[in-house]
Amino acid sequence: MKRRTAMKSAVAAIALSAIGASAAWAENPTLKIGFVGVTSGPAAAWGISNQRSMETRAAWINETGGYTIGDTTYDIEIVSFDDQKDPKRAIAGMEKMAQEGIHYVVGPNVDDGAAAVRPVAEANGIMYFPYAFPKELYTAPASNAVLGMVANYQSGPAIYKYLRDEKGVKTVAFVAANESDPLSQRDGGIEAANALGLEVVSDNVTYQVDTTDFTPVLTPVMRTMPDLLVLSGVSPANAPQLIRSARELGFQGFISTETAQDAQVLREGAGDLANGFISVGGASTPELASDAMKEFVDRYTKMFGEYNDESNTKVYALEYILETLKANPAGIDDVKAFQATMDAFEAPNPYMKGDAKLRYVGSTSFGQKRQVAVPLVVNVYQDGAFETLFVAEVD
Amino acid sequence: MEQILANGVYLGSQYAMIALGLTLIFALMNVLNFAHGQMYVLGGFVTYTFYGQLGLPFVVALLISCVTLAILGALIEKFLFAPVIKRSARDESTMLLAAGIAFLLDAIILLVFGEKQRGVPKIVNGVFNWDFRLIMPYDRILICVLAILSIVGFIAFMQYSKTGRALRALAQDRVAAQLMGVNVDRYSMIGFALGAMLAGLVGGLLVTITGINLGMGGPTSIKAFMMVMIGGAGVISGAIAGGIILGFLEAIGLAVLSQYGDITYLLIFISLMIFLAIRPQGLMGKPWG
Amino acid sequence: MKNITSKQIAGVAIFLFAIYVAVPVLIGVTGRWDFYFTLTSVALLSIAAAGVWLTFYIGRINIGQGAFALIGAYVSAILVTKVGMNFWITLPLAGLFAALFAVLIGLPILRLRGVYFAMITLVLTEVVKLTALALPVTNGAKGIVSIPLPQELSIFGITLIPDFATLSNVKLAFYYVACTLMVICFAAMYRLVNSRLGHLCRSMQQNEELASSIGVNIASLRIIVFAISSFLGGIGGAMFGSIAQSVYPSTFQVADSVNFMLYTFLGGLGYVFGPMLGTLTLYFGWNLLFEFGKYQLLIYSSIMILLMLFLPNGLLSLRLPKGKKPNAAAEAGKKAEGASK
Repeated sequence: MKRRTAMKSAVAAIALSAIGASAAWAENPTLKIGFVGVTSGPAAAWGISNQRSMETRAAWINETGGYTIGDTTYDIEIVSFDDQKDPKRAIAGMEKMAQEGIHYVVGPNVDDGAAAVRPVAEANGIMYFPYAFPKELYTAPASNAVLGMVANYQSGPAIYKYLRDEKGVKTVAFVAANESDPLSQRDGGIEAANALGLEVVSDNVTYQVDTTDFTPVLTPVMRTMPDLLVLSGVSPANAPQLIRSARELGFQGFISTETAQDAQVLREGAGDLANGFISVGGASTPELASDAMKEFVDRYTKMFGEYNDESNTKVYALEYILETLKANPAGIDDVKAFQATMDAFEAPNPYMKGDAKLRYVGSTSFGQKRQVAVPLVVNVYQDGAFETLFVAEVD
Repeated sequence: MEQILANGVYLGSQYAMIALGLTLIFALMNVLNFAHGQMYVLGGFVTYTFYGQLGLPFVVALLISCVTLAILGALIEKFLFAPVIKRSARDESTMLLAAGIAFLLDAIILLVFGEKQRGVPKIVNGVFNWDFRLIMPYDRILICVLAILSIVGFIAFMQYSKTGRALRALAQDRVAAQLMGVNVDRYSMIGFALGAMLAGLVGGLLVTITGINLGMGGPTSIKAFMMVMIGGAGVISGAIAGGIILGFLEAIGLAVLSQYGDITYLLIFISLMIFLAIRPQGLMGKPWG
Repeated sequence: MKNITSKQIAGVAIFLFAIYVAVPVLIGVTGRWDFYFTLTSVALLSIAAAGVWLTFYIGRINIGQGAFALIGAYVSAILVTKVGMNFWITLPLAGLFAALFAVLIGLPILRLRGVYFAMITLVLTEVVKLTALALPVTNGAKGIVSIPLPQELSIFGITLIPDFATLSNVKLAFYYVACTLMVICFAAMYRLVNSRLGHLCRSMQQNEELASSIGVNIASLRIIVFAISSFLGGIGGAMFGSIAQSVYPSTFQVADSVNFMLYTFLGGLGYVFGPMLGTLTLYFGWNLLFEFGKYQLLIYSSIMILLMLFLPNGLLSLRLPKGKKPNAAAEAGKKAEGASK
């Protein structure tokens, strides 16, 4: 009895989808791009800012008539999967993407998820753009992952060098959450600071992600009186509280991080105490943002009610996928063609003023071009908004 | 040293308040409320909305938080826990229900309040600084005092009011209380509402200092479980003791063990396990059978 | 045990047919290849959940199975990558190591009861995770990555299990392995529950003092059961590590420990096959709700609450005629498949 109803609904579903497909055919064919990341739970902000920037861009493209690759104009559809920051779910998500016939996926957001999906992605011919830093993901024999942002071992040295040369910083202290990603980033940061000749005065203080009072965490660090306090891999939720505690304990030096932050969150959580806080951002500061970037922020704000500055760094992955496919339409269902195009690919960067380029980099860090070239924009927070401190390039 | 003690008192008082609500619900209904942390988060978001967004006075927002959570708690007890407890063969079934409610509240919080970390303007500015030996921002001192006052108020309520006495009777022996003419259903609901209200109150108080985000629910529940364990499950004084002990453990642990870095928390947890292995019913709890 | 009815045999046969033949055929026909991983996960998670169920059988709520799964995953990964052992040999070793750890930790903590035991196991999950973050042998925060696929297993030159790296369909291979492990696990559980040990456990669940007064050595019984439970957790974890080809301290965490408990509760604590059905419903259900996008968690949790409201004693309390329980799980599996189309 039940099985029969199930059969019926299955038939109905097939019929419906057939109608749906033909309706879509009348307009543009659809190009599906996947997203596998965390959009619920404590780290939801990472994945949601990611997913929303992709959806904003896709809606924008579709509204303006679609995206032309080769001879075909496509509508872009974003298929998202919530992995709940669980590597097991992330694998299921990647399987789902393969099932949907998707070859290009943005995510996962964290190290363990990115490592866990690798076998699935490579077996099913999926290129994926994780926001995770382990070098194993991008160095051969790994072939299908492209780092979707600037890694901390690239931005860290640039920031420390700037502070050393321009601001006379000599000593540095690191604080990290007791989790894989922040700890790895801390270790990378310590290495970079040592290489620059900075003295690391405190490098082993950690906190649980669920800490609600950072005063006891920071008290021993403050005693070492560093010129610079680095919040390694700090989540946007913890950053304002850490800044506030450090300042309230009388810390006068610089505070920086290598992750992207949101100005609104800093303003609400730390107020003026966050002034001078250095973080890595995208291209939304007025000095750099092109008209396209401004329109993107507008559309995002209209679609979701509120912009998230973390999206500045996350707008790029989708653009890279589409531009590379445009450069070589064969890539649409052939990842090998995509990979072959990556080496020489170059296109103008629509989100930045000036003649910045989209291209793949990473030869220095990974021995192959497996990273998107996002301008390394270092921001400083001032009175509720970010200002650009300096811009650098990564190779 | 002064700093460590002050940190301990501050942490301990807020932890004790979180644990109080949890242990109250546990004592009355034998329900381990996995959704306690989510209720705390919801309280924080309600205060955020009314104080931070709509600009109402902090005290009013705090009251709205308490009322909202009390009503929510009463509804949850009446329509979810009470029927399930009546019909299920084992007490443990309610754990699944509580987890389901925790997920549901998580989902609702995400949809209504969004994924971002939220914060409100400080209620008092300035930092108390005694010669760098003891540094404590004024708002923390205020919240700490408010928390202690709430705890004292709660204990007084439980000791001297009719409702409080009925609740205590219920916690001690459900059947006997019923025989003595206590309306068990009604007081279970009141007790649950009171527990939820406490969660909302802490959420509302702490949002002024730590801010709030949807991810704080689960970890808060787990911390509350630990405090309840240390003190002894279902005992009010135990929850307070547990909260204060965990607060001091963290404050002292972080200060003394900071040179060991990564393993500070590992050591705190291991010492907790050893303590429980030696004293399986916590400090003041009755052995559980 | 002595009176296995023909109905029971038929039920088991249908169940085996369903998982080994019907599911692959259905997947082949419908082209839903992604279900292989989901069902593989269900099989492996239900093995670990079976362990949780078993500890419940002696009256202990276990929210620490994630810890043992993580230990299993690490033991196997370390032996494969650092010692170069064959994965199939590390699999039982992972289980044994988890069991050994359970014996050591169980000696003090099994004296605890009720919420105290539940909470201490919850803390245990966190302790194991933090230990994995701190130890050098686990490679700390960086985890163990690029673990090779399982190698060939042969005895006297006869290949029992082929080298997974040479297989064209690794997913299917993992599916069969996971199902086989699950079948063995639940067959053993069924046997155990209906043995003398099972009766002793039941008497302990009712009243430990009473059981002890009639001459049951409850201390050793508890340890044995806890060790078996953790063995199952370790096996499940090790298999997952080999599928993901990576292990991180966060591979199994507190949320997993809680989930294992939920799977067990949802299936029904009074039924051996409860964990299997509970895992299938909750894990598979989550994936099926994928279509609802941002409302996924809302609908998932609402369904969970409704299930508890109407079936507070677990899914299997929908009282089926005795002996048809394995069949029920298979039926539910098929229903879930049907609904997804």
